[in-house]
Amino acid sequence: MRILRIVSAFLRAAILKETAYRAELVGNLVRSVINIGVAVGGLAVVFSHTSDLSGWRLEQAMVLLGVYYLVQGIVQTALSPSLNEVVSEVRKGTFDYVLLKPVPSLLLSSTRRFVVWHVADVMLGGAIIAIGLIRLEAQITVGIAAVFVGVMVGGVSIVFSIWLALTTLVFWFVRVENITMIFQLFFDTGRYPVEIYPFWLRQLLTFVFPVAFITTVPAQTITGREPLVAIWLAPLIGALALLAAARFWRIGLSRYTSASS
Amino acid sequence: MPPDVSVRDLVKQYVVPERAGGLRASFRSVLRRKHRLVRAVDGISFEVDRGEVVGFLGPNGAGKTTALKVLSGLLHPTEGQVDVLGYTPWDRRAEYLSRITLIMGQRQQLFWDLPAADSFLVNKAVFGIDDAVYKRTVDLLTELLDLGDLLTKPVRQLSLGERMKVELAAGLLHTPRVLFLDEPTIGLDVTMQQRIREFVTAYNAETGATVLLTSHYMADVKALARRVIVIDQGKLLYDGALAGLVQRYAPHKTITVHLERSVELPDLNGQAEVLSVEGLQVTVRAGKDDAAEVTGRLLAQLPIADLSVEDPPLEEVIDQVFRGDGP
Repeated sequence: MRILRIVSAFLRAAILKETAYRAELVGNLVRSVINIGVAVGGLAVVFSHTSDLSGWRLEQAMVLLGVYYLVQGIVQTALSPSLNEVVSEVRKGTFDYVLLKPVPSLLLSSTRRFVVWHVADVMLGGAIIAIGLIRLEAQITVGIAAVFVGVMVGGVSIVFSIWLALTTLVFWFVRVENITMIFQLFFDTGRYPVEIYPFWLRQLLTFVFPVAFITTVPAQTITGREPLVAIWLAPLIGALALLAAARFWRIGLSRYTSASS
Repeated sequence: MPPDVSVRDLVKQYVVPERAGGLRASFRSVLRRKHRLVRAVDGISFEVDRGEVVGFLGPNGAGKTTALKVLSGLLHPTEGQVDVLGYTPWDRRAEYLSRITLIMGQRQQLFWDLPAADSFLVNKAVFGIDDAVYKRTVDLLTELLDLGDLLTKPVRQLSLGERMKVELAAGLLHTPRVLFLDEPTIGLDVTMQQRIREFVTAYNAETGATVLLTSHYMADVKALARRVIVIDQGKLLYDGALAGLVQRYAPHKTITVHLERSVELPDLNGQAEVLSVEGLQVTVRAGKDDAAEVTGRLLAQLPIADLSVEDPPLEEVIDQVFRGDGP
């Protein structure tokens, strides 16, 4: 209850801040629409030459792209703004104010900034998923939807954990923006099904930077494709990743409180 | 009643990377870093009672901020015991953090683009302050700090001094019992420094909160703290009344005389040095032990309208302390 109140206070502040800059708000919305339009157009071009991309049809690939934007939207709305704030605050020294609050630092560090207009990506991503599913004439039962949500939660947890772990490096290295950029590069590979990549890269994207669990696996669950790996692995890996990242955060924090001045 | 703050043999050392200047040294340090151990706080002990205002003095890098950070739970000490309000600060228990505040003059916590009132609401939620208490506190702070309409303007539009006032208010919304203020007046103009000082005094009187503050400005300390703790290079040099510090470390006194008419000054036997002669006002400086004799001689030999003997300004005394040639 308390947590909910805290998060909604931050959310309120974020909305106020966003609406204070209306021009930026409109500009960013336009950018989102164009971005996603270009991506869908790109898919259409690819599929005008072939009807099958490593076993994926256009509509299935669209659903996957929709999942990509959905996750990207969630990450950019709610996760990366807060974590990026940690990086800049550690450098400026204002991170101390986070540690002075009577709330677990990880909770505060991961929920205090929102970039509201990225919700547009979430909605557009959802729309593309819906269009893809309609054109596939897919039968979505409550069961399938529930599995999809579970797999998505797992995927988002994985993204958050990796991002958190990379952010935690700030307690040792202070400047880590470039490291989080590397993650974005890997994440970008998630626009396409992992099956299109060569074997070694596919392994890398499944087991090392588990991008496969973030877009390919969720898209498979609702487009009725043969699963790449066991579905239940997604939430399991998500939960393990969260635990590991939270533990790493505590280690980083104890370094901060023992080594900094 | 046990003291609010109790510090025993506190030591804090940390590792800093070390490298020589220059490009080549920079490249080398990317590959192999050299480190140096710094003892920022080196075995200090003190206690602060409920409601006391204590000034922490020391030159830059003396360890003042490090000590405050340990007290507020941001840093783990290397050695020693600290007890504040019955808590061990670095456990960072929620109950502890709700009872203290650390306000750093050089670091802001408010949202830059929003009016402070919006940041206040976030702190209200974070500290779980209920509506009635929140309203009462904001009213009190608005009155004491003369906030007026500052709370409704975006923080980025406020002047440095105004920003410090709202920062102070933001740090006090949860009505902490112990205040750690790190350079709360830094960079402010004299009038604003004065306002902040008056506020701290009034707040201490109003709420009975315990205050530990660091400052570069002697005026802050003189106005606020009856007791000072002087640290230098991590070591405690003095802990006691401000007056005692001056008595102990002031090497000389300043004697000012107003003459009735212009005359030749007598020979002062090398016991005193003439600092200035402005019209009929003459200022001389005499060693502490010679002051009485010099005063006597001046009174006997000059047509004096008025005479005063003063301790040197606090700045000079402190300087004396840090140069280590006090008694």
